[in-house]
Amino acid sequence: MKIYVDSGTTWTKILKIDKEKTYQIIPSLEFRKMKLDITKCTGHSLIKEKNIYENEVIALARGAKEYLEDDFLALDLGSRDIKYVEFENKKFKDLNWNTSCASATGATIEMLLKFYQVSCQDLVFTKEKYSVTCGIFGLEKIMDDISQGLEPKVAIAKFIHGIAFNAFNFAKKPEKICISGGFCENKCFIESLSQYCLVKPLGRFVLVDGLVD
Amino acid sequence: MEKNIIGFYGCPRFELIEKIKKEYKDALFIDLDVNYNYPDLKIAPDNYCVIIKNILNNALYLKDRIILILAAVGKDKCDSGFFVSKLLQQKGFKVIESIFEDVCPNKTSLKLPISKSNLPLKDKINLITKNIIEQKDYSNLPQAKAKFGFWGVPPNDFSILDLFIEPTEIFGWLRAVEAGYPGDFELEVEVDSNLPTIFFTQAFCSKTLLASNLAKKHQGLFIDVDCESSNSIKAKIEAFIKLR
Repeated sequence: MKIYVDSGTTWTKILKIDKEKTYQIIPSLEFRKMKLDITKCTGHSLIKEKNIYENEVIALARGAKEYLEDDFLALDLGSRDIKYVEFENKKFKDLNWNTSCASATGATIEMLLKFYQVSCQDLVFTKEKYSVTCGIFGLEKIMDDISQGLEPKVAIAKFIHGIAFNAFNFAKKPEKICISGGFCENKCFIESLSQYCLVKPLGRFVLVDGLVD
Repeated sequence: MEKNIIGFYGCPRFELIEKIKKEYKDALFIDLDVNYNYPDLKIAPDNYCVIIKNILNNALYLKDRIILILAAVGKDKCDSGFFVSKLLQQKGFKVIESIFEDVCPNKTSLKLPISKSNLPLKDKINLITKNIIEQKDYSNLPQAKAKFGFWGVPPNDFSILDLFIEPTEIFGWLRAVEAGYPGDFELEVEVDSNLPTIFFTQAFCSKTLLASNLAKKHQGLFIDVDCESSNSIKAKIEAFIKLR
């Protein structure tokens, strides 16, 4: 059996290929306790062993290519990082990667949802957005607004809209973004990003798919 | 303490270097641009080019041993090169300023044996910068057809250079220095459009404007690095090299 792993800061995505493909998502804390004979891996949380480790942008590019037409921009928004790769006429065109800024990505949203006891399903797109170039300032605005009586779910939706706007700008304002990562399952985020460009969600397993030879 | 060092930064005029070499036969030439990990004396603001910080920190750390400093203050260096010269003079150094803005009269006949050689990128950059003082003939170096391009200046953090696949051809200021025309703008912006090229500058350097636009024009990758390369920068370089 071959095992492919994308271990992010918060969540680990696993693809097992035996007679058929099996996908699995588990908390990275849990994954670290497991002993697996990994075929190939990517992600923040893994020891970057030369023989089996793949650069995340390369995994994204290869994984996204499986689904897409010749011209595409695939953007992966994870727990703490954001990265994109763009192809034109089947050729690499551009990339960018911010690996260390946790300010405006998934982990922050997960913490906010837990803190304010809001379900992701209850979030509704709002036209207003916070400027979240720095997540700390974003959090400050959320707390200010909530203390003034705004519902937490509305404040978090404004924050998510700000993240979507940032992602659009980070990718240099393309006509279409193919989005990978946990935000694919966040309807509020997808609707927010759709205000600026066409959006095609690719799901959470793009990077593990990109590891398969 | 005995004064035995001639400090220099940028690429001072070669005839000036020769004159000083003859005048101070036993002196040691030290490139003040380089990071020798001397203490940061915090003379420059935090958000400032680390190469200029290196010049200040190195000069002040070695002050008791420095005879004089050869300072590149023209377009061949940068505005900060001019400012730092004035600051060093205020701090009591003997400074000889150099403006090296000559333009190469015949670019088609240029010989760039180091930039186009089969040496690893790090060795090429070291050789070009060392040759500012040594002026040795490297025309016998084996040449190689490049797979990638590196445009820019010597980085503060050489570790990013290990990521490049050999052979990588050198462009930008380094190429202009090897050609003997460090202030020739046309030479500095000349690249081979067929080569996937990484356009590098130090953060807070005015060359970021040039590098980012050249990267767009030639579908290269623009990177700017402050003191040390982050994992993000290294990962971007690695991905660019593998995907192009």
